[in-house]
Amino acid sequence: MKWLLLLSLLLSGVVHASEVLNIYIWADDIPAEVIHQFEKDTGIKVNIAEYDSNETMYAKIKAARSSRYDIILPSSYYVERMAREGMLEPLDTKRLSNYGNLNAQFIKPAYDPNIPHSIPYLWGVTGIFANRQYFDPEAISSWNDLWRPEYKGQLLLLDDAREVFSMALLALGYSPNDTDSAHIKQAFDKLAALKPNVRVFAVEAAPSIINDADATVGMVWNGDVYQIHDENANIDFIYPKDGFVIWSDDLAILKNAPHKANAYKFLNYLLRADVAAKCSEYQGYATANLAGQHVLPKDMQNNPTIFPPASTLKHGQFQRDVGDEVLAVYDRYWQQLKLL
Amino acid sequence: MKPDTYFKRFSVTVVSLWLGLFALGAFLLVISVSFLSHSNDELITGPITLANYAALADMIYVKIFLRSLLLAGSCTVMSLVLGYPFAYLLARAPEKIKNTLLLLVIIPFWTSSLVRSYAIVALLKAQGILNTVLLSLGIIHQPLQLLFTDTAVMIGLVYNLLPFMILPLYANLERFDMNLVDAAKDLGASSWRILTRIIIPISMPGIMAGCILVLLPAMTLFYIPDLLGGAKSILLGNLIQMQFLSAHNWPLGAALSVVLTAFTGILVLVYRRYSTEQDRQDFV
Repeated sequence: MKWLLLLSLLLSGVVHASEVLNIYIWADDIPAEVIHQFEKDTGIKVNIAEYDSNETMYAKIKAARSSRYDIILPSSYYVERMAREGMLEPLDTKRLSNYGNLNAQFIKPAYDPNIPHSIPYLWGVTGIFANRQYFDPEAISSWNDLWRPEYKGQLLLLDDAREVFSMALLALGYSPNDTDSAHIKQAFDKLAALKPNVRVFAVEAAPSIINDADATVGMVWNGDVYQIHDENANIDFIYPKDGFVIWSDDLAILKNAPHKANAYKFLNYLLRADVAAKCSEYQGYATANLAGQHVLPKDMQNNPTIFPPASTLKHGQFQRDVGDEVLAVYDRYWQQLKLL
Repeated sequence: MKPDTYFKRFSVTVVSLWLGLFALGAFLLVISVSFLSHSNDELITGPITLANYAALADMIYVKIFLRSLLLAGSCTVMSLVLGYPFAYLLARAPEKIKNTLLLLVIIPFWTSSLVRSYAIVALLKAQGILNTVLLSLGIIHQPLQLLFTDTAVMIGLVYNLLPFMILPLYANLERFDMNLVDAAKDLGASSWRILTRIIIPISMPGIMAGCILVLLPAMTLFYIPDLLGGAKSILLGNLIQMQFLSAHNWPLGAALSVVLTAFTGILVLVYRRYSTEQDRQDFV
């Protein structure tokens, strides 16, 4: 049976070989089922290439003068950078009948403020986790609490210069997108004091490290905690009251995309409420699609870790691009931090 | 010409073309990029400059280089201390056992080193195999925090690179003439004297080959300090990767790669200087 299915899939690919769409997305970010349904509905064959970091995607697109790809899925701060560099197609929202499904909060966001170059797909925030078996989550309410001596050698921090500096800048009362080198220096000094508390820097391995208590308190993406909860209910997520970073992964069409019409069809399909809900449920991250949010299973819709109340969310700020020069300042301090 | 010669020529040509294109050609590209500049909008652009090499004099890069060298150096010493007696016994072992032991040294290569490093994570975790066993035996009462420590990094590096120390040592020690030891004994030399004045000096080319083969990868195996050490330090490998991916500074990354390659070249030259033709054939 499986073989037959595979064969028919292959054949359908051959038959419609002229109708294709090439997408380049985060590994496993759009469920296969959702893509197959699109292929079945439209007869457009979707070719998928995957990346594991914005940086890899950016370098690959930037290094190639002409692109084979139609759609990419950068995070918010890369939307800003790529739009500024003229790499993204300004979207004609009239061609997207489902555009109105989006949450108003994500329309004209700070990182893409004028004609949209991107459609927010999934989003999340970076906050604090604590393992109740080791530390009382009630005792933690702000980033500054992570500096307590009792957490010596316990913290997990995300292995990402921007994320870690955002945390320190917020703890100091600055913007997470600060470009003032004096403020960044202050953040570095603050982080240098935090280093003895750090047990591990990680990104991909973070969920398993948290789940298996190899680190018991630290920074985390809210969706990771939501997913870990199925296996380990001792992990709590805390929205720091001194503010937090909101990031989103956004769909965009490349400027020189070879199959633009198909790309619009695909974007409009992903904007459908039922499709958006399916993607959100599959990933365990919040959807930026309000209509989709309303058709999610009730326990996910009402989960405060994934969908915080507006009163909490207002303390969040979008992660923005700071430009290469400031990035080099961050990177330099990041290297120094690791050398300590 | 005999057909044999044709075949020889053919294979040599194919291999040279392959290496010329994918090793030398690629490296020439890296060298040329290292003399270019970059801007906010372009990964590489003019003008031609030496600034990337000048930037390397920065204390922070020197520190990262020294840190990598120190880590790789300790890993090399550990591998030598563990590998030398093993290679010696291996070379003296009866033929049958010898082949089995050699096979055991080589078998781990059949699995990717990354996968084997994850296996070490599973061993050392708080709820890992080692802690579970020790706890259930009542030897410890709190899980040992082994993962994300310098010890874990050293275990991972030595485990991954030990065969590169053992194999050249073995190749060298296997040819060692035991009559020399007997002669020394007859002349009244102590065991210590035999070891330090005869065995070690004669096996020096093997030691050098093993040390180079361990030291160089240890400087750049960045995923082991990342996975097992919790990415708390930064090595040359991470630094190069960072310049290419997150900092978008390809010219600086290229300059770093060129310096690393030059360092490798110098070590290989040193090895050639102190080895004989026969040793080099073993090395290959």
